[in-house]
Amino acid sequence: MNKFRRAFLKTAGAAGALLATAGVGLLKSGEVFAATWNKLAFSSNNMNDAMKNANYGGAVESKDIVLKAPDIAENGAVVPVEVTSNIPGTTSIALFVEKNQYPMVADFELPSGTEPYISTRIKMSQTSNVRVAVRAGGKNYTQVKEVKVTIGGCGG
Amino acid sequence: MADEMKMRATLQGDVADVKVLMTHVMETGLRKDSKTEKFIPAHFIDHVVATLNGKTVLDAQWGIAVAKNPFINFKIKGAKPGDKIALNASDNLGTQYSGETTVAAK
Amino acid sequence: MTAGKPYLVWPVVLFGALSVLSACATRPEAEKTRMAPLELEKPASAAPWVRYKGWPSEMWNEYSTLAVAVPSTLSDPIKFDGPITGDPKNGEKLAFDRSRGGGCVACHVMGNPIPPLPGNTGPDLSEYASWGRSDEFTFNYIYDHRKIKPDSMMQPWGAHKLYSANEIKDMVAFLKTQKSPAKFKDNLENPNTRPVPVETRDNFDPFLNEAMAAVEKGKGLFSKEGAGKKSCASCHTDPGSAFKAWAASMPKHEPRLNKVIGVEEFVTRHARATTGEEYLMQSGGNLALSIYLRFLANGQPINVNTASAEHKQAIKRGTALLNRKIGQLDMSCADCHTAERGANKWIRGQWLGEFRGQIDHFPTWRTSRSEIWDITKRLQWCNVSVRANELWPGAPEYGDIELTISALNNGMKLSVPGIRH
Repeated sequence: MNKFRRAFLKTAGAAGALLATAGVGLLKSGEVFAATWNKLAFSSNNMNDAMKNANYGGAVESKDIVLKAPDIAENGAVVPVEVTSNIPGTTSIALFVEKNQYPMVADFELPSGTEPYISTRIKMSQTSNVRVAVRAGGKNYTQVKEVKVTIGGCGG
Repeated sequence: MADEMKMRATLQGDVADVKVLMTHVMETGLRKDSKTEKFIPAHFIDHVVATLNGKTVLDAQWGIAVAKNPFINFKIKGAKPGDKIALNASDNLGTQYSGETTVAAK
Repeated sequence: MTAGKPYLVWPVVLFGALSVLSACATRPEAEKTRMAPLELEKPASAAPWVRYKGWPSEMWNEYSTLAVAVPSTLSDPIKFDGPITGDPKNGEKLAFDRSRGGGCVACHVMGNPIPPLPGNTGPDLSEYASWGRSDEFTFNYIYDHRKIKPDSMMQPWGAHKLYSANEIKDMVAFLKTQKSPAKFKDNLENPNTRPVPVETRDNFDPFLNEAMAAVEKGKGLFSKEGAGKKSCASCHTDPGSAFKAWAASMPKHEPRLNKVIGVEEFVTRHARATTGEEYLMQSGGNLALSIYLRFLANGQPINVNTASAEHKQAIKRGTALLNRKIGQLDMSCADCHTAERGANKWIRGQWLGEFRGQIDHFPTWRTSRSEIWDITKRLQWCNVSVRANELWPGAPEYGDIELTISALNNGMKLSVPGIRH
């Protein structure tokens, strides 16, 4: 499914629900589910639910996932995070921040041919575990690192 | 769209190292305007798709916690100089953003 | 009007920018080394000055600023008969409260458990109960330390109305509960073992430092023609060599304005007098041109004049300003940024650097704000952080301070735009 179709479905919004439904009729249902923004996961307000709803439930800790993030982030607005999965057959990488109001940050699907690597910058509301989840060969793996978010001296 | 998206793809061996910097507020919807005390409505990129010569190489869903002016770096195997890498993004209000770059030899 | 004549105010006003710029192409080579045309009358920044959107809006009119030293009335120590009673729980809450000036934990290790990332610019108070201080002493030291230890970095919390007398009694009660050595969760929490932040980012990477876009923007503006069909490039045909070291020699005392001005104010006034373009200080165009002109001088050692009579005087004034206690928090720049005082220590989770190292990267990208800040805006933010009203960007005090800090950084190489939190 191309992104324009997807954007059409999404932006149809509440008022355009009928149009969106008509759009769905043109597609196989599986494609629609795979491509629709995962509202359930992104609006889950605890880590376990977010991971489960993003289809990363039951993830096993793996040392083959390398998660690079600062020990202390200079501010929570822009925290650099870099993930490399050394697990063969990696097909997706997702990021979560445990103590954010909504822990799920992003989910990257990486088709074969794309290296199992992603680097981005995320927001953290406070000091928290940053968790990465990886799907490889249909199984889920995870790795975690605590990132302390600096507290300013001059007060709020 | 040059102002909204900055892209660069450099070749290391046969791997294209792709960097993208987008201009977007990535408003969470959880922040209050200090003057009006009202929540500033959420406005964030929620879908990102990258292609190499038209073939999807990255398909991402984002929430509100990707940082303002989003940055991503990913790596594509089997690329060669002159290959076209395109990136399409859309936000929760339906605005589309796109950028394109050509793989440069190292 | 020619470039060689003294720049009185009236010819600029009468003949305006066009007559000045028409001179540039034809003026004799010898005259080019003389004073550059500047517009001298109008303010170089938005006037009247209004504090930036999104900054605290509170005003602290009763306290000193860098422009006005308000005499502060020292409180006489208050006498207490016997021990002070208070609510230690509330005292702890107040000690940890960041909303009224940062709280005690900004500078002192204390509490059980200790809150995250405490600072260490002041002594560790986790065993204060065993120090043998009377309650009266503790109360008065918090209320107004200045009659007890005038050279302390402490804030006069009571005398400057940050906390009431009753609240300070609660703090005294809390301090009496501090009986055991600090225990930290890990070495990052302990300010004495927390690793010193090292800046390793490549500030010239445009995917990392968004201010790099300003270099290109500034380069574009340099060639942009004003109303008179002239651009900066019309006169400065080879900016790469013409400005190879210029920015590293700024700021300078400007006799026509009788104050020290940096690259930013120079850009505003020189553009008005030449191309006619308006680049108010703190505008995007001004920041872009200022970054571009400094970018051309990157790698050059900072080399401000410290020998001229005007600069000696300005540095003397600047040094006094760096040591002036200002604001409701009653703090000087030197309190945080000299090694004898707070520098090379932590204020809560923030590392305080010395003056040397504070100027080579401005204007800089601030990741926490997604904004470019020049040195003036940084100074304004420090003012507001200690709860002192900031001055307008063209204030002579900021010029004196920029020169004084630059002199302390002479020899350090320019690396603009920088990237900081």
